[in-house]
Amino acid sequence: MAAASGEREEVVLETRDLRKHFGGVRAVNGVDLTIPHGDLRAIIGPNGAGKTTLFNLITGDLRHESGRVSFRGEEISRLSPDEVCRRGIGRTFQITSVFRRLTVIENVQTALLSHHRRHYNLFADAARLYRDSALALLDRVGLKEQAGKPGGILSHGDQRRLELAIALANEPRLLMLDEPTAGMAPNERHALMALVARIAADTGLTVLFTEHDMDVVFAVARRITVMHQGCVLAEGTPQEIRRDPEVHRIYLGYTKAR
Amino acid sequence: MARSTVMLAAALAIALVLPLALSAFYVVLLTEIAVAALFATAFNLLMGFGGMVSFGHAAYFALGAYAAALLAQKAEWPMLAAFAAAPLVAAFGALVFGFFIVRLSHTYFAMLSLAFAQILYTIIFKWTSLTGGDNGLLNVWPPAFLRSVTAYYYFTLLVIGACFLALHAIVNSPFGYALKAIRENPRRARFIGVNVRRHQLCAFVLSGFFSGVAGAVFAFHNGSVFPDFAFFTKSFEPLIVVLLGGMQSFYGPLAGAFGFKVMEWLISRWAPIYWPLFLGAILIVVILVLPQGFVGLFERRAWRLRAVNGKK
Amino acid sequence: MEMTTSLFPWITNSPLIAVQVMSGLSVGMFLFLLSVGMSLIFGVTRIVNLAHGSFYMVGAYLMAALIEVLPGNPVSFWIALLLAPIGVAVLGGVIEITLLRRVYRRDPMMQLILTFALILIIGTLVLLVWGPDNKSVARPEALAGSVRILGQPFPSYYLLVLGLSPLVAVGLWLVFYRTRWGMLVRAATVDREMLGALGVDVSRLYTQVFAFGSWLAGLGGALAAPTVAVALGMDADVLINAFVVVVIGGLGSFAGTLISALVVGELQSFGILIFPGVSIVLPFALMAVVLMIRPWGLLGEPEE
Repeated sequence: MAAASGEREEVVLETRDLRKHFGGVRAVNGVDLTIPHGDLRAIIGPNGAGKTTLFNLITGDLRHESGRVSFRGEEISRLSPDEVCRRGIGRTFQITSVFRRLTVIENVQTALLSHHRRHYNLFADAARLYRDSALALLDRVGLKEQAGKPGGILSHGDQRRLELAIALANEPRLLMLDEPTAGMAPNERHALMALVARIAADTGLTVLFTEHDMDVVFAVARRITVMHQGCVLAEGTPQEIRRDPEVHRIYLGYTKAR
Repeated sequence: MARSTVMLAAALAIALVLPLALSAFYVVLLTEIAVAALFATAFNLLMGFGGMVSFGHAAYFALGAYAAALLAQKAEWPMLAAFAAAPLVAAFGALVFGFFIVRLSHTYFAMLSLAFAQILYTIIFKWTSLTGGDNGLLNVWPPAFLRSVTAYYYFTLLVIGACFLALHAIVNSPFGYALKAIRENPRRARFIGVNVRRHQLCAFVLSGFFSGVAGAVFAFHNGSVFPDFAFFTKSFEPLIVVLLGGMQSFYGPLAGAFGFKVMEWLISRWAPIYWPLFLGAILIVVILVLPQGFVGLFERRAWRLRAVNGKK
Repeated sequence: MEMTTSLFPWITNSPLIAVQVMSGLSVGMFLFLLSVGMSLIFGVTRIVNLAHGSFYMVGAYLMAALIEVLPGNPVSFWIALLLAPIGVAVLGGVIEITLLRRVYRRDPMMQLILTFALILIIGTLVLLVWGPDNKSVARPEALAGSVRILGQPFPSYYLLVLGLSPLVAVGLWLVFYRTRWGMLVRAATVDREMLGALGVDVSRLYTQVFAFGSWLAGLGGALAAPTVAVALGMDADVLINAFVVVVIGGLGSFAGTLISALVVGELQSFGILIFPGVSIVLPFALMAVVLMIRPWGLLGEPEE
């Protein structure tokens, strides 16, 4: 992938020989990944390929057995999730994770408060803090009108958007989205990923996401990494992946049969 | 928000005026209601707002009460100084116990908190030379100017009112928001940069501090302290109060304390045998029928209306 | 609320280690009997039955009541011992059907609070039915004396307790590993839904398990009746002790409960010798340590 002239080809995320097993199962079996700045990287693979485990290893939710993870040159292998977040990685989860009984704007405000390290403040009226920034973020993801509603009653798609806003509140350099469009209708999916791509382009954000919908992947991703049984099977541009016979055999074959 | 401020102001005004109209007995009752309300609200900081249910909160109430009594009596500190130091002792206890308790979740959290409270109870019970053991400490009285029922009532109102203000601020502060976020979704909270364990420990210490205040107020009101203050059945009082009044609202425990103490008084007056039975029955009813407590009923209506109208 | 002396009157203060060990063992076996019901109920239904001590108390009171009512011959004791736990089992079954069934799917906190509410209710009912005075139950003549073990006088009745507890342990093992019902119960602990899908009436199974656990608690109470003061407040004593044993051993694990009971028994026995003042704190301290290092107990299973 050719970097635009004047842009540094900075490696944002790098994993080396990452391994994790559960009992006898090798969930992640020696994964090397290099994500350059500005990439929109899709990680695809059948269920059980290890995608979510890989994510959890990177973000510190799981402890790896061996290997390294480094973010912008700094090793983050041993950090806890909250520390990883503070380094500049934002994340959404496979099962939508918002603060259900807080209102939409409170969800984002809380993220902002934490980002600005004011969450130990015992006396300020939190409702008034970062309202404008929160509303701006909500506007970005198209949720401004629903700011007063409890997060839990939003439609599924809107909850996904809310989660996106929460992740963005921390001003991340790398955004990791775990199956961001799961459970959404096809046009909603494209809309959401288009939004993500737009935000990424505007803010110079690098995006790493897992996805099952091939249409979305080929429409949005700049590079694709295919995983299978814990290993990286193939990696390349969408065109290269489309033509790769191994990938066809193991993975895309499913989609065709559908 | 405005409506509840008005109601609160009205309640406060009434509370200030009541001693002029009521006999000493009722003023004592009101004092005890205030203590129970503070204890329950401190407890609810953890339960309703933090999502952590402790079965051993009596420990911090007792620490506050005993610290106040011991400092005033044995160390011969002036009452106000003892009173100011007591919650710090309770907070310290919460820090030490909480450090271990907070590592666990749910059932185990509850169980370890119960275990620590029983350990404290046993220590108090057995360390007769310091605590008087089963006989407790007697003659723990406030200085002369606070010794009348009415004077102590106003003192209680002052202290507890201040604590309520503080707790209200805390719940609506950035700290409170993060705490609620942890309650809702700890994994998500972690991934907005919150150190969940540390945050919960802070909440635990704050809760212990205010429980200690309640204990200290009660110590001087009661004139004596006993090991019972730390026994596990005492730990259930704030839980019952919170369930009665509603754990999702800030003033729920206040209403619950009022209802609880009034019921206790009424039933103890006519048929004291039936009080635990009644309490148990109410608890069961609340659990089976009214998960949000009584105040919660009102709150939920308002919440639904808000959601429907999309208003903030 | 002196736990050691009221519950374990046979703890001795002997310089002989062997005697202390034996004394600890007997305490331990009794603790096992007391606690295994709670462990069983949790293992299957995932409910920590805080009313366990109350069932024990009812068992003791029923024992006292039955002995008063039955004719004064030696057989009466054994009849009462047979009937009292059954009464408690019935009580447990009724409670399970009317109340506990409604909270299985709820927050475990709510379940705990519900069983705690039962403590209050059962306690008051006992008071209403039998009054505030202590009751006493005489030992059967055959076991009224004492024997000499290693030179120390040892009340014969405690031999009954010592003998019955291992029998109960073996009996439980047989029931759960050699009967069809026991197999179903074990299956239910692993996968309730699957069992239901296979056509087993899991609700009834739960009721039976709860009744069985209550029976065990009642048996403990009935057995203990001749040795302790049958009084209000027994429930709190036993609850705390059983709780500690079960948590240390691992909720839901028999072997864990057994080992833990013996350990706690020895701890209490030697604790009195070595740290007389604080011996009571020791089981709690051990429980706290276990909860911190291995919250699911020595032989329990981690929740996640």
